[in-house]
Amino acid sequence: MSINFSSVVSKCCLRSLEDKFVFLSISGNLGQIREKHKINPPPRLRNPTWFTKKLRAPSTELITHENKDFLKEVVQDRFHDKVPHEEITQIEWTPDLQRTGVIARKIGIYPLWFKDGKKITTTLLQVLDNHVIKYYAPEEFDPPRKRVGRIKNKKGCLLLGAEAQDPSTFTREYCGLFKDSGVIPKKTLGRFFISPNARLPIGTLISAMHFQVGNVVDVRGKTIDRGFQGVMKRHGFKGMPASHGVTKTHRRGGNIGGGGEKGRVWPGTKMPGHMGNRSRVAKGLKILRINTKHNVLWVSGQAIPGETNSIVYIYDTKLPLRKPEKPLPFPTFIEPTDNLPEDIYDESIHSFVEPSIMHNES
Amino acid sequence: MFSTVPKPCIRSISNRVKGLTSLYNARSCTSHAGKRADNMKKNMTRYRFIYPEFLPDPKIDFRNPVREMLERNDMIARRHQIDIPEFYVGSILAVEASDPHTPGKVQRFVGICIQRKNCGLRANFILRNIIDHQGVEILYDLYDPCIQKIEVLRLEKRLDDELLYLRDALPEYCTFDPNMEPEILPEDGDVPVNPIKVKLKPRPWLERWERKNLKGLQDLGLNERFYERARAVATPWEKYDLMKEYMRTIPEEEQNEILGEVQSKLQKLDVTKKRQKRKRVFVKPTKLA
Amino acid sequence: MLNGKLVFNDALKCNSMIRKFHTTNHCMEIQKLTRLRVVDNSEIGKQAMAEGKPPKCIHIYNKTGVGMIGDKVLVAIKGEKKKGILVGLKQNQKPKVPKFDSNNVVLIDDNGTPLGTRIHVPIPTILRTILKEKTHTKGADYTKILGIASRFI
Repeated sequence: MSINFSSVVSKCCLRSLEDKFVFLSISGNLGQIREKHKINPPPRLRNPTWFTKKLRAPSTELITHENKDFLKEVVQDRFHDKVPHEEITQIEWTPDLQRTGVIARKIGIYPLWFKDGKKITTTLLQVLDNHVIKYYAPEEFDPPRKRVGRIKNKKGCLLLGAEAQDPSTFTREYCGLFKDSGVIPKKTLGRFFISPNARLPIGTLISAMHFQVGNVVDVRGKTIDRGFQGVMKRHGFKGMPASHGVTKTHRRGGNIGGGGEKGRVWPGTKMPGHMGNRSRVAKGLKILRINTKHNVLWVSGQAIPGETNSIVYIYDTKLPLRKPEKPLPFPTFIEPTDNLPEDIYDESIHSFVEPSIMHNES
Repeated sequence: MFSTVPKPCIRSISNRVKGLTSLYNARSCTSHAGKRADNMKKNMTRYRFIYPEFLPDPKIDFRNPVREMLERNDMIARRHQIDIPEFYVGSILAVEASDPHTPGKVQRFVGICIQRKNCGLRANFILRNIIDHQGVEILYDLYDPCIQKIEVLRLEKRLDDELLYLRDALPEYCTFDPNMEPEILPEDGDVPVNPIKVKLKPRPWLERWERKNLKGLQDLGLNERFYERARAVATPWEKYDLMKEYMRTIPEEEQNEILGEVQSKLQKLDVTKKRQKRKRVFVKPTKLA
Repeated sequence: MLNGKLVFNDALKCNSMIRKFHTTNHCMEIQKLTRLRVVDNSEIGKQAMAEGKPPKCIHIYNKTGVGMIGDKVLVAIKGEKKKGILVGLKQNQKPKVPKFDSNNVVLIDDNGTPLGTRIHVPIPTILRTILKEKTHTKGADYTKILGIASRFI
């Protein structure tokens, strides 16, 4: 803890020094220009520090097979079996504590059956190899958009990475994000706001057992990109008649505003435009089954944003009435997963290894 | 032949491969190992039709190897619980399912399978029969855990992939006795094809059957203009569309991989079943009194 | 005639009355003016079916206006208004619920007592649950029609 704190302090100092230098250099160059705030206005939105250029241009170097293997060995040696330095201290979970979420992949949809014989469509979410890459303490993390007013119980921020990939495909800058953690560079990053108590040591692996069967989650994903669409598809308008003298206006929206004092198009009017490819959250999905071997969660419903094989983020639910009754593994599930059964079912779900359902008189 | 299920192999593309396979066959005749491989290949083609639902949806947007594997495992787990026999569109089945509306009892329905649809755990089939002069159809999910027993009363195929036209046929073509006894076929024989031609009621129909290129129908007795229109809207070139064929099939190698896995897992099941049967034969009857 | 096909058996006798086109809704749902088939042995129902003038649905007592299995309907039959319960539908049903070749109706009076004494076609078992749910202590008792059913599937 103390080491971490000192490193934070030193980083803060460095950053402030850097800022001063930058300021000096800028002021040296632009000191003479009038109206400089118009030429170089302060950015409205700053990207987080981990938003760097990710992919390197594919190199045209011709490397022999042996050298390629050697490179692989180097990568393996470097990122082999890194165990987090710190121990995780488990605390009793209370409803006001917020745990980290995970990065997952939507892998498909298929039905399960309840024990009373009813069918339910479920979506399969595969929890990827989530490693903790960085933690920003509440004081340290400055969000791109500042909130006005005093903030009670400020949250820290945990940066997770998923899907390890050959580091040579990434830029130097991007690989630098992973330098301190000792984790092999990952393709996908995700940041999760957590209570400071839920801090995980850098390099911790999070599995599907982070969640429990029967609990409720929210899933965030990017909806399917449908491109520029008309009002009928985008907003479900009815269109206009196919016949009865209608010419050239079969799928158009019709009127978009009134006259007189309101003689303009009101903001928010539903019109054609780009549909999909925006982040949406499906809330209140129940976990019905967990596969511990392949790290797969079966969650209720089929309307999870995104295509099959797209990345989604899973959080504990925000819905106040669906908070878990039993305490959650806090900050995460750390016991070894070897002794667990391969499939864990919710008590209401019929397992396929059980005999057929028979409805008996109650 | 089975357009409802993913095609066994890319038929038109396979023309291209035909040369290769014939070469392969010629070579296989010479060696024992080749013969075994040939046998296995033949088995695979059989499995394709016996277990069509094990082949996943060929639409590339929906495919994921982990999901498909988990789904297959679930299907095999269910098949360890009840015996889901080999059956085809045109076979006569009896399905026993427990019903929440009549607790404590099992509902039995006998009928002819007129359609098999979907793949994976979503696979389903429709049974049709005429009971008390009233046509009745029931759709069952193949892997529904409420199903207690699926029994094949008559195993046969028909000339078409879908028999939805039985809805417009004369009632004698889909009336079956609910107390029918199962008919036993000789083992290791091919599944017989019933060449019966169905007579339809006069129009109006539910669909324009003259446009569907159906083989199991008697002369429809329509005006020439119907056939003219059918010819005009027909798309006979589609069977030569390589890209379309490719998009709605799964590559043969992948099929073999999937079916091989299924075969190995289900063969074990067959063996245990046979053993159980044999065991049962030797069980001494217990005295009740 | 609406649903010319569904009354095929009964209407064969009076073929002259069937027109050669049908205006059935594509999804075969029961709306206002859909022709139904009376499947009990009530006098009025038998006569209407024998004459080839099957009853027309003129109102559906639910919020959607589309008749589902177990819904109460008002039918126009032989110049009279009668109430009935839908006991079999042509529309596609959920798994394990039977789908019939005709839209079947059993005539009842205001108390839920059936006008006939026997239903001569199979009726779905799901009606047991649906009708039980629709029956309230003070209102009509719809479960009486389960008593005159000859066969459940």
